Amino acid sequence: MATSNDSVELVGDEAVVNLARAVLFAALMGAFAFVSFPNPLSPAPITLQVLGVFLAGIMLGPVWGPAAMLLYLVAGAVGAPVFAGGASGLGVLLAEPTLGYLWSYPVAAAAVGLGVHGGSLGDYRDTSVPVLVAAMVVGTVIIYALGIAGLMAVLGLGFVEAFTAGAAVFLPAEAFKIAAAVGIVRSDAIAAT
Amino acid sequence: MLTYTPGDSLAHRLDPRTKLLLQITFVAAAVAHTTPRGLAILTGLTALFLAAGRVSPQSALWEFRYALPLLAAGPLVSGLTFGAPWFVVNEAVETALASYRVVLALLVSAVYVRTTSPRESRTAIQRTVPGKPGQFLGMGVALVFRFLPVLQSDLARVREAMAARLGDERPVIERMQLVATAGLNRAFRRADTLALALQARCLAWNPTLPELRFSRLDAPAIVLSAVLAVSAVV
Repeated sequence: MATSNDSVELVGDEAVVNLARAVLFAALMGAFAFVSFPNPLSPAPITLQVLGVFLAGIMLGPVWGPAAMLLYLVAGAVGAPVFAGGASGLGVLLAEPTLGYLWSYPVAAAAVGLGVHGGSLGDYRDTSVPVLVAAMVVGTVIIYALGIAGLMAVLGLGFVEAFTAGAAVFLPAEAFKIAAAVGIVRSDAIAAT
Repeated sequence: MLTYTPGDSLAHRLDPRTKLLLQITFVAAAVAHTTPRGLAILTGLTALFLAAGRVSPQSALWEFRYALPLLAAGPLVSGLTFGAPWFVVNEAVETALASYRVVLALLVSAVYVRTTSPRESRTAIQRTVPGKPGQFLGMGVALVFRFLPVLQSDLARVREAMAARLGDERPVIERMQLVATAGLNRAFRRADTLALALQARCLAWNPTLPELRFSRLDAPAIVLSAVLAVSAVV
């Protein structure tokens, strides 16, 4: 053990609760990577991960939402099996063609959080449906823009090629996720505020 | 699944920070030298890393099987063009080299995952990232490792219960809502319990860290990362 003579600096009450939520949200993102649904509109299965990004922004806000996504990425980089298909490792974040999608998660969660909460963190259940949908559409655009940019950079593809390989078959499912997120937020099923 | 396995191989004994640095410089060198000659040298290096961690390339590749279809399809998509000559070999070759570079990077990071315990990774993060962000990331990563299997089994139980009640016949949006809601509720409930437990144990921003020390073994590895870094720039 290393030794230290500094006095103990306790983590404040509010920060502990937010930290615990960010941790559990990051772990939930990892668990969502294993949950896939058949997509009625396209051959690519739907995973819940992007839904997790939306909900992180909506429920944790523009600061702790991205913090949770960052935790998810770092945990995956050092070996927690949280990326698609249970993959892990720094190589996924630095070299894989889909790295753009992963790096976009904190940005998209921040954008969704800002859109829903603005500057101060309020009760997300008061947000109107158009605001929720608009925030998530912006989030989706960020995720796919960075994702396609990643494909173009890593594999040297052109825009149309990258769009065909990385967005065309997945985009229809995003509408389902936005609908599901609105349903979750508007229902009283979630106990925590 | 690709996870940490205890052992005493050369890679196990290296400092986690050295291994992280090696991965980053390896990727930088691979991006700078995506040529047949550069990748041939890096292939040799990858074989060396795999041997140092006693990781078999087949088992490591199997862990990344979900990434492989895209890597294989990349060159085909890139080579195809609308109109004559329909297939441009040069572009396909370029993308094939890029795909191969990705495979090498994934194999190298598999060695890290196989030979580094979450506890070591946590310490490496807290000692590398200064201040509260480092503490947050270190603590958070350790807790994510702890809670990931718990939430996975939570979700599996929810899905089993749904299937038993023919819930998997419902429309997709409804199923996604049900699974996500149940997952979120369990996650938030666990978060509240965890927060209480952390407060009861006086969670601090400056806890005493487990010791981490560079050994003589790290010196050649750090020299190698320096060489890779220089080769990426020059």
